[in-house]
Amino acid sequence: MTVAAGIGYALLALGPSVSLFVAVISKKPFLILTLLSSTLVWLVSLIVLSGVWRAFLPLETTAWWPYGILILTSVVFQEGVRVGFWRVYKRLEDMLDAFADRVAKPRLFLTDKMQIALAGGLGHGVAHAVFFCISLLTPAFGSATFYVEKCSQIPFFLVSAIIALAFVTIHTFSMVIAFNGYAEKKRVDQLFVPIVHLVAGMLTLINLANGGCIVGIPLLYFMAILTLIYCGQMVWRRLTENQSRR
Amino acid sequence: MSRTTATTTSILDSIGQEITTILSPVSICMLLVVLLVSSLSPPSSLSSPTTPIRSAANLVYLETPDDSPSHKLQGALLNALVFVLLISAVTFLLVLLYYYNFTNFLKNYMRFSAFFVLAAMGGSIFLTLIQHFSVPIDSPTCFLLLFNFSSVGVISVFSNAVPILLRQGYMVALGIIVAAWFTNLPEWTTWVLLVALALYDLVAVLAPGGPLKILVELASSREDELPALVYEARPTVSRNGNRGGSSLGLLVGGVSESSSVELQVVSSENERVEDTEHTVIRIGEGGMGREGETSRLVNDVRERRSSSSESSEYSVDRNRQYGHEQSEIVVDEERSPLVEMLGSGNDREGREECGSETSGMTTRGIKLGLGDFVFYSVLVGRAAMYDLMTVYACYLAIVSGLGCTLILLAVCRHALPALPISIFLGVIFYFLTRLLMEPFVVGTSTNLMMF
Repeated sequence: MTVAAGIGYALLALGPSVSLFVAVISKKPFLILTLLSSTLVWLVSLIVLSGVWRAFLPLETTAWWPYGILILTSVVFQEGVRVGFWRVYKRLEDMLDAFADRVAKPRLFLTDKMQIALAGGLGHGVAHAVFFCISLLTPAFGSATFYVEKCSQIPFFLVSAIIALAFVTIHTFSMVIAFNGYAEKKRVDQLFVPIVHLVAGMLTLINLANGGCIVGIPLLYFMAILTLIYCGQMVWRRLTENQSRR
Repeated sequence: MSRTTATTTSILDSIGQEITTILSPVSICMLLVVLLVSSLSPPSSLSSPTTPIRSAANLVYLETPDDSPSHKLQGALLNALVFVLLISAVTFLLVLLYYYNFTNFLKNYMRFSAFFVLAAMGGSIFLTLIQHFSVPIDSPTCFLLLFNFSSVGVISVFSNAVPILLRQGYMVALGIIVAAWFTNLPEWTTWVLLVALALYDLVAVLAPGGPLKILVELASSREDELPALVYEARPTVSRNGNRGGSSLGLLVGGVSESSSVELQVVSSENERVEDTEHTVIRIGEGGMGREGETSRLVNDVRERRSSSSESSEYSVDRNRQYGHEQSEIVVDEERSPLVEMLGSGNDREGREECGSETSGMTTRGIKLGLGDFVFYSVLVGRAAMYDLMTVYACYLAIVSGLGCTLILLAVCRHALPALPISIFLGVIFYFLTRLLMEPFVVGTSTNLMMF
């Protein structure tokens, strides 16, 4: 394939994030900084994970369970990181509110908080797409393409871009759900996020089977859409509550 | 979103402005260097060793791929040592010249080297680009364009009548060209050199008697601008042009410490050594209280304003908010917790400010030496020769290092070296990514497993 194909794959994975970035994030410097730091946090978590797993790689077996353990540990660790991220954010929010009081401006609005959560989630999502999909795309800009054995119908780059898109969606919006859940102390939301993340990760195990990606990817997209709808409902509820309270 | 009504803007709009105004040019510079490096270096660069260039950075030892690692390491250390010694010698020479008031000589030398960089090194890069993409262009046209490009660049370096955007653009262009040239150095030498320069930067700026520290103090005691190539992130840009697409219209941003009336400029520095000029962030602050504040409003190229007249057509409420904030400022010092601010100021910068542009008004801005641009980009460009993954990791590391430096700057309020934190983080992340993360990520994602 050529440059066009490479750009196409990249946009497939990151297109929605780019438009989200341009429309919402880039207008506010603080959100850009949030996005960058969240990307960095995700990168550090990935480095730590890979440091732990480095000794066992590459996995020679074709059995699925080592991969299952890998994904399980990774998801658990990343959800732990998310809780840490929330703690830091909470302190930051207090600082921002104190600052707002000092300059006699209104405190953070509900939508501001949601935008910060969105920026944080987008940072996680973009980091995911960048490291799992975009950084492997270099050969796609050349004149060939690549197929993996287990999913021989579609080029590897296309599959990974499609999967990355699903994960970007999940990461982005589950951060909004999680932050809201922590803020409201709602157990359901707090549990929803790790479960979705874990299920989505486990669904990719289906790809290990021959031709499994035909089944796995639609299921993955089901999870992504579920996250999207859940997040939309939650934001709508919060906003209307907020409106009526005012 | 239903959020901000016209009158109430949240503080989220304003915080962090300063950091992004400096991050965006750095990011642009790095992006372009990466594009340049990855498009110009042949895909199979490992198999076809190009003849290494000879330069000040590898005087002692010329790396060849066949040498043993220990040999390479020794040679690279020697190279770095010699290069750093050269740089410090030249910096001391500059300080000496500056001390004895050879300012015009220094400025002309800067202009000459800017011309040399743009015309000769930039020219050779353009030539490679033209060949690589087979652009149909005849040599007289090319020469004319190049000459014009370089001349405008030279003019923009130290003159006042040039739009700030153009100047910033040329600073970034200089950074790109020098960085692209530096990426030709052999691998080990590059890494050792980067670390050595970061250490040198640390010493030269912070240690008592360090050349850059002396230079900065001299310049601030003379209320003079540094004879150096320094990127200024200045909020007052012409109306259409905010830098680098970070559409930050509003410059409220932080808030400066208003109490001080006269400026204590604190720092800056730079030095240059055959085309590497390498510097620090300088933060000027102080400033003339309120008037300064207003003048930071967005577009005031032509309207010079007294504190009362806020004539910009930029939304009224912004002004209002601004004014509002300003009144607060007088009362207490408010610094945003995250950001630093710098009201810098004034009379001394007045002069470098475009004539048409409100002289005497406060500008506040962060100054980042061109050398920092160059070496950040060298690091990223070198990472680009390995893989895209290392590029992203290094980019994030450098940017976060720069962010840390800026936050430290807000705390310490004097010139800080911008290289060390970023370079160390960048190098660490490069090797972690290369050694640990890449096998992991490639291993999982080629099995189509993600999480």
